[in-house]
Amino acid sequence: MLNIENLSVSYKSNRNNVHALGPITMKIESGDIIAILGPSGCGKSTFLHVLSGIIKDYAGQAVLNDARLNPKIHNIGFIPQNFGLLPWRSVEKNCLLSLKIKGKPYTEDVKKRVDYIINKLNIAELMDRYPRELSGGQKQRAAIARAFIMNPDLLLMDEPFSALDALTREEAQELFISLWNQYKPTTVFVTHSIEEAIYMGKKIVIMSNTPGTIAEIIENPLFNTENLRQNEEFLKLSSHIRNMIKEGWKHEIKEEN
Amino acid sequence: MKSRKRIKLFLQGFVMVNVLWYIMAVIVDLHVLPTPIDVYFNLGGLYDNRLHIHILASLYRVMSGVGISLILGVSIGLLMAYSKTWNRILNPLVYFTYPVPKTALLPVVMLLFGLADASKIILIVLIVVFQVIIAVRDAVLNISPETYDPIRSLGASRLQIFRHITLPAIMPELLTNLRLSIGTALSILFFAEGYGTQLGIGYYILDAWTRIDYLGMYAGIIAISLFGFVLFVLIDILEEALCKWKA
Repeated sequence: MLNIENLSVSYKSNRNNVHALGPITMKIESGDIIAILGPSGCGKSTFLHVLSGIIKDYAGQAVLNDARLNPKIHNIGFIPQNFGLLPWRSVEKNCLLSLKIKGKPYTEDVKKRVDYIINKLNIAELMDRYPRELSGGQKQRAAIARAFIMNPDLLLMDEPFSALDALTREEAQELFISLWNQYKPTTVFVTHSIEEAIYMGKKIVIMSNTPGTIAEIIENPLFNTENLRQNEEFLKLSSHIRNMIKEGWKHEIKEEN
Repeated sequence: MKSRKRIKLFLQGFVMVNVLWYIMAVIVDLHVLPTPIDVYFNLGGLYDNRLHIHILASLYRVMSGVGISLILGVSIGLLMAYSKTWNRILNPLVYFTYPVPKTALLPVVMLLFGLADASKIILIVLIVVFQVIIAVRDAVLNISPETYDPIRSLGASRLQIFRHITLPAIMPELLTNLRLSIGTALSILFFAEGYGTQLGIGYYILDAWTRIDYLGMYAGIIAISLFGFVLFVLIDILEEALCKWKA
């Protein structure tokens, strides 16, 4: 279980103290998948950076399975928006990077898991390629493989599908969910797509504008529904969410115009 | 495929230079500019002139000079990239001394360190080390911060981050810099070997020149060129092995 209490982040910019996030308090059960939905600049990426151990300077608490969140103790899989593959490592070496950093032996069991995930994501033929030789969708699948191979205690994704075109995105989402259903790692992902949040989030956390705090947590009844996009409930829920966040995001819409 | 391309490039260049040289030699028609054919026929006698010993002497000086520059330059460059304090202390020094033409320091270096190899190597280091420092520092600072994110979320140690991110990320620039450094070192070498030594290709060329042995002089020039070319090819091979991901 991931227990977040009064988590907030401030940083200094031009000698001003900018309050970027929080305070946030929430509990995430093991095996949950949480969608965080918020306007750009609401601090949702900052939130993920705290959970992934990249930002160490924060107030409050984040406790995962009875230990303060620490990437040295926990296995944290992090998929950034640009997929985070290292350009100088082949797909195979990228996928196995976590094992190498964590000093885990490459046992038969691990190898089986790796082979299974690689085949499931259909990247077996790409193992010797370098990231620059991959399409966006292929990079995405390699990044998902890397995250699942390490058997993470916590899986974090920052707008994981936003860089893909619409068709590739739907395929990737389906592939991800079917893999996720098999291993069920505790997952937090950030998105600005209501549809993606409904499709992939067991719970949907809606964040308010800067500094980001939790406006509402919705239990998503439509999670793991087949043919979601044709479902009437889907339209209802998405318009409900849309109405709910309209107020909170108005500020940003004005800015964009 | 790639090495074949390189051989083709080499042969093309070789033929072009020699044709130009030949035409020039025919037009000028002077004793001081023999045709390439005359020079190549004379190459056979070079072993008797102990050219290989001169080449070894030069190789030792270039390799030591570039080697020391790399070790010093990479260390100082990393120090400046990682530590703001050190950057503040060293940056004025680097900035101020960079444009000083350090070949002018040859007499000083020779007075301080003697006539032997040490002064020549030190001169090479003095010139090359600054460009290595700057290249390494800037290469490290140019790595975008999010490159580190996934590995930091794995709880990597500083050494692991250096080994898996910083080093491979700066490697292409490091090799480009090594290439430039060797070119620079060879020019300095030729200059430095004009003084206080009876060994080295630079000396060999200047000596042949003063003895009005023009064929020998050209042979020396060809030797130093081939010497540089071999070093370049070695860097190409290194680049292909270490930066395969980039190609």
